[in-house]
This record gives sequence, structure tokens and C-alpha cells, in this order.
Amino acid sequence: MATRLKHRTVVFVGGGFTAALAARQLTAKGVDVVVLERGIDRTHTAATSLPSQRDELRWDVHGDLFQDWSVQTYTLRHNDGETALPIRRLQAFKPGEGMGGAANHWNGQTWRWSESDPVLRTQLENRYGKKAIPAEMAIQDWGVTYAEMESYHDQFEKLFGIAGKAGNLRGKVQEGGNPFEAPRQNEFPQKPLPITEAGVIFSEATKKLGYKPFPLPAANSPEAYTNPDGMQLGQCQFCGHCERFICEANAKASPEVLLYPMLRNRKSFELRLQTHVLDILYDRKAKRVTGVRYIDRVTGEEYEQPADVVVLSSFTMSNTKFLLMAGIGTPYNPRTGHGMVGKNFCHQTMSGTRVFFKDRWINPFLASGASQTVIDEFNGDNFDHSGLGFFGGGYIYANVTNGRPITSRAVPPGTPKWGSTWKKANADWYAHNFTISAHGSWYPHRENYVDLDPTYVDAYGQPLLRMTFDVRENERKMSVYLSKKIDEIAKATGADIAPPTAPRKGPYDSQVYQTTHVTGGTIMGNDPGTSVVSPHLQHWDAENLFVVGASVYPFNAGYNPTGPLGALALRLGDDLNDYVACPRHL
Amino acid sequence: MTNDQSDKTFHPNRRGFLGVAAATGAASLAPGVLIGTAGLAEASEPAPSQSVDASASTIAAKLPSPVPGYLSFGPDEAGFVEVMVNVMCPADALTPGGVDCGLAAYIDRQLAGGFGKGARLYMRGPWREGKPELGYQLPLTPEQFFKAGLAAADAACRKRNGKAFSELDEGGADRFLHEIADGKVTDERVQLASWFNELVYPLFEQACFADPVYGGNVGKVFWKAIGYPGLPAVHSQDMVDFRGKPFPGAADPKSIADFA
Repeated sequence: MATRLKHRTVVFVGGGFTAALAARQLTAKGVDVVVLERGIDRTHTAATSLPSQRDELRWDVHGDLFQDWSVQTYTLRHNDGETALPIRRLQAFKPGEGMGGAANHWNGQTWRWSESDPVLRTQLENRYGKKAIPAEMAIQDWGVTYAEMESYHDQFEKLFGIAGKAGNLRGKVQEGGNPFEAPRQNEFPQKPLPITEAGVIFSEATKKLGYKPFPLPAANSPEAYTNPDGMQLGQCQFCGHCERFICEANAKASPEVLLYPMLRNRKSFELRLQTHVLDILYDRKAKRVTGVRYIDRVTGEEYEQPADVVVLSSFTMSNTKFLLMAGIGTPYNPRTGHGMVGKNFCHQTMSGTRVFFKDRWINPFLASGASQTVIDEFNGDNFDHSGLGFFGGGYIYANVTNGRPITSRAVPPGTPKWGSTWKKANADWYAHNFTISAHGSWYPHRENYVDLDPTYVDAYGQPLLRMTFDVRENERKMSVYLSKKIDEIAKATGADIAPPTAPRKGPYDSQVYQTTHVTGGTIMGNDPGTSVVSPHLQHWDAENLFVVGASVYPFNAGYNPTGPLGALALRLGDDLNDYVACPRHL
Repeated sequence: MTNDQSDKTFHPNRRGFLGVAAATGAASLAPGVLIGTAGLAEASEPAPSQSVDASASTIAAKLPSPVPGYLSFGPDEAGFVEVMVNVMCPADALTPGGVDCGLAAYIDRQLAGGFGKGARLYMRGPWREGKPELGYQLPLTPEQFFKAGLAAADAACRKRNGKAFSELDEGGADRFLHEIADGKVTDERVQLASWFNELVYPLFEQACFADPVYGGNVGKVFWKAIGYPGLPAVHSQDMVDFRGKPFPGAADPKSIADFA
């Protein structure tokens, strides 16, 4: 029997990136907030201290910062006709655990999405005609426009000290930035990171081909930086331990550096660590949530936390799972197309090649998570899709983030897998190669969705979330197209060895890392018939329940998801202040 | 595998071990009981071996000994793994043989530790065979799977070659490993290609390139070979100063122990 706790105003389920940003807005107005987080605070632990922070085996290969699969994983099948099996050690994406969530171990690649992305269906219908969008591609508009989000993007970039070069200042295209950028009111708060040798080579090659390379906007601080809250970032050390690690130099803008330490000093804020939320408590008749039930992972005891407002702010997968478990809204049925919860599940379409240079020193260990050089000509709807047979695209970039020797080392194709020749190839090429990749969109397909697994359970006896998921035709065609562009750029670099890029194919592979950007399941939109939450992220079937995270994205763009997520979370915080003052459908 | 054939066992670069073992009457300990061979090498003349060239001996002589003793392996298992890592990492101009690089010690300790016992691995049933894209689907811990595969591989080796894996010569052992990796060696219960490619090979790569604190990559020998500078990796200025140039720190890498 769960012990019933004192009533609170707003309870957040999951103490990561979005909870911290929304809680920042709420607690600034003195609103009572409690954040429930299943993991620990890793400040001043082995994860954030030298020399243990630089341990590739522990943090990268063994994934000590990630969700513990022995406790909770997901099942996978490629279509409805198969029986899903549990992914016993997931590699394809890396949800986090602990104060700050997955945003502690991110690389820091921080985009605003294209101006047309929040109105994608309208954009494609206007440009290519209504019939051009295949019936199985369930893309839709967000219900909120870029213009409405711009000031939140601006605020987020200042809070996180994003380093970059504007490409479009108030409609005027800027030399050196992204010419396809959505118009911004202000320049980035920090100048771009210094370019890597790979970036130099990539820039020369792409300019030769007529493209406009620019520095990828980065949440790796080029200098010491103080944000508008007075919180500080250190200078990036280009240590090559960014993604999958927590920055020990406090130079990677993350919730555990910039947000939680500040929030924990605010009177109306409480962070309750090592609390695993089991259920959202739903009063179906009243169409309201009444609180949450959780287990204290230290004592094993169960608690009920009543609240006026519940915000689901956990990872994409868990947000969807909580709704399915509580029976809030209707689970998506791919056969009838009815139901919304679990629909439009998407990932990222990645492909790339390695270019090898005998005489150029790439020194991959002199890099940071986002010190990359990129072109945006083939992203989203930045190019004409007429006759191509697919929609979407991706940015193409010189993808060097580290030289960690277990996982990032590469030898030319055809090298034996062991022996003296293998060793010599490692010695010859380690410092002399880099990857050119496409970071591609993933548009929703009617048959790609998540629901509750009928067989497998987690450590708490609850069903695992099941992915019915594969790489469908749209993404496969797009990947072929982007891979050819990669090959043209690779050739233009003058590399000694540039093997052809293998486009992304099915079946969807749980054992190959793509990105941690899985999206959808609780999608946003203007119409309760085609979305789970409103454009204010308010649940259509429970007025005092809000959902924030990439689970609300109706599709995944060719950009990293964090920028709009930051903007949406800050906007949600303001909306919640409004709601708490006057509860209603916003 | 039996221990009494140890004097015929292929050990391309266990420096001095066989010589010392013979001299001290310790032959019955080998294979499978790895003594700090570098220490022994200092105490006696290295046994002549065709596959150890002069530069490899020079590198080896400067290296610390791998951590002695095994936590998980029994003698036969150790014999298999020692031969395997010495074939996969032969002594050459870049590194000494696999055992002297600590590769067997690394694998043993990984299997004896959290990873081997199934830490962070979803272990609930029911168990069914799945497509490769679903990943590992067996009810065994990695340590159990490693040993089940090793026994199956050795049995297959006896069938195929008429002798245990640890009794093959260097070329034969190398060939047999390739046959396993290519799916040409089969067992009724264990998928040997998957065992080798998805469990054994990643452990081998980690043994070479993980921080030496885990027992492999002794003396940072693999980091030196490829030019990975290791720790502390404080490169704000380096990334500008050495953009496109050889990085001097790569010649003398530092590891966790150097900062402990």
C-alpha cells in the first residue's frame, strides 16, 4: 500500500532537460514544483572527475550513464506479423538516467529547425500538391509556428551559451552562417568553436562543389561563459569525451551544470532523486490526473504523490508508456488508423563514409562533441523534391567528435580483422581519417508505432514498451540520395581512400548506434482527432496533464531535436504559470 | 585439452616462460597459469622464437608485466585464450604478443566482473531465437556464453583438426579463428560465428585499446602504436596549435594510473 504524501502543485515525472527548463519558469514565479527522477546526482562523482571521466570503457562501451537495460528495456519487431523480442542490450539509442537525463551525455549539437518544419504538411502540400504526400506518411503541422517559438529559441540559446554564426538575421542572409537558417532576431550568444582539420578539408571540398559550409551550432563553450541566470560554463577542452560522458570541465551546456544547481537553491523547488514513477493516477470520469505513484529506490517503499498538475518530462519512450499504462487517450491501432498514443514513432536516418588521407593529420582526439563543419543544402525541404520519390533530407557534415580508440578508431575496408597487418593499419591510419555523415530526417509511417508488449516485463513487473518499427521506403530512398551527395563530397576532398557510402537499409537494427533522437508517440497538433497533446502540450483527455519531450514531435527532422525542445520546454513553463493561475484548456 | 602437452603448446611470445618453466620444473602449470612473464624474462634469457623480432623484444622488455593469475578462467580456458590472443596479436614491431600485452588478463577480468555476470543486460525470459537486428537473445550471462562457446569451439577444433585449439601451430590457429568468424565452424547448440564476432572480438579490441587500468593494453602499448595521447586530454590550445600537424603528446600517452 502506497503512503500518501502531502499535496503539491506541479509534479514532473523525470528530471532531465525539459523538466529543468519548465521548472525554471515556474519556480521563478514561486510556483511549488517537485521533480521525480529515478537516478542520482552525479556531480563530484567518478563520472565528472579526472581521471575517471576519461574512461572510454566505462562510460561509452559499458554505458554507465545510460538507462540500465536489466531494469527496463524495449521490445522490437519489424512488422505486425512478428513476435517482438526484448532488446537485451540496446545500442541504437541511449536514454539517460540521473539528474539531467540524456542531456548530460549529449554532444551539444544545437539547431533551430527549419522555418517550414512546424508547418511541414502545409509546406509540402503547397509546394508539391496535396496528392504528393503518400497516405502512409502521417506528417502533420505542430500547431505552433516558428515565429511563435523564436523568442524561446533565443532565450534557450542564451541560457545554454550556444556557439555559432547566424545565417539569417531578421531575414538578411549572413556570410559564414547557414543560408537556410530560419530568421533569428539575434546573433548566437557565443562565437563559433575553432574549426578542426577535418572541418578545413570538408569546407574546401564543399565550397568547390558550390555549397556553403558553416560551423555547427554548439553547446560546447568556446570560452568561459556566464548565462542570464548567473550560471557559468567553463572553456571547452576539446578532450573528445563529450557524447556518452558528462563534461568534467563544465563546458558542455547541460541541465546538471546550468539548471539543477540553480533550481535546488530556489525555495519552491524540490528534486527527489532515486524515485521511479510507476503510474500516473487518472480519474477517467473527471478527465483529470490526481498525482503519481512511485517507488523509492533507496528504501523500496511506495508513495503516492498527489498534485494539481502532472507533467510527463521523461524520455520519449517513457512518456508514451505512462499514457498507455494509465489508459489516458486511445492506443494507436495501425490497422484502423484509430487512436493516437504510440503513433508516429520515428528515429534518425544516418549514413556516412570514412575518408582516409596519407598525408593529412586529422588528430581526431582534438575535438569536441559539436566542433563540426556542416552543409544544409540537402536538409528538410531546402531542395526540390519533385520527382525524387521521397520527402525529407539531412545535413551533411565532417563528423569528428573524438578519437577514442576502442570505438572511434577505423581502418580502410579490406584490412584483416586482427594480426600484424591489422595493427599496422591502425598505426598508419588512426590519426588520418574522419567520417563524412548525413544526419537525416525520419518521417512517420503508418506501420511504425509503439505500444505495450504483451509478454515481457521490467524489473517492477510492468510491461515493456514494444516498438513495431522498420526503415520504410521513404527513408531508404532519401538515404540513397544523401549517400550519393556524401560520396561526391568525399571525392572532392581528394582523399586517398574514400569507400562508397552504404545507404541506410532495413531491417531496423537495434545493435547499431544511430542517434539518441527517437521521437513521437505523444504527438502535438491542433486537432484532438490527430494528436495526443495540444500545441500548448496539454493532454486533450486530461486538462491538468502536460507532456513535454521529443515524444510530442509529429515527425523527426534532419536536425538534432534539442533546440526546439528547449524552446518548447521554456514555453511550457510559461504556459504552466498561466494554467496554475487559471486552470483551463489553454 | 590436457596440461601434460604444454611443452608442445604454441606460445609465440611468452617471453622466457617455457625456458623458465623447464628450468624450474614448473611445466605442469602451463598452459593456464600465467606467471608475470615480463618479470621472469628479466631473470632469464628470452627463449628464442621466430616470431619475436628484435624490435618487439625491445618493446616487450620495457613493458610492465600483465597482472598475474586468472579470476574466471580454468587452466584449459586460459590455454585457449592465451593462444588465441597471441595469434590475434602476434609479437611484431608494434607490440609484444597478446598475452604480454595483457589481453588474456583483460578478458578474464571482464568476464569475472560486472560485464561477465550480466550487468546492465536484460535477462528475463521467455527466450526465443531472434533476427540478428534484435541482438543477443540467450539466457546465458556473457561469462557463461564465453565459456560455452569456447568449449564448443575447442570440440569443433578437435573434430576438424584432430587436436585441441591450444595445440595448433600459429598458422593453424589463425586459420581456425577465421573459419569461426566466417561461420564455417558450426556447433549444434552454440552459434560460433555470433559468439566470436559479437562477444570474443569486441573483448579483444577492448583489451587492446581500453585504459590499462583494466589489465590489457599493458604499458599503453597500443595507444603508443597508434598515437592516441590518452589523458588528461586538455586540448583547448592544442587543437589550434596542432591542427593538421603531428601531435607530440601522441608519442607518450598517459593513462588513468598516471593521474591516480
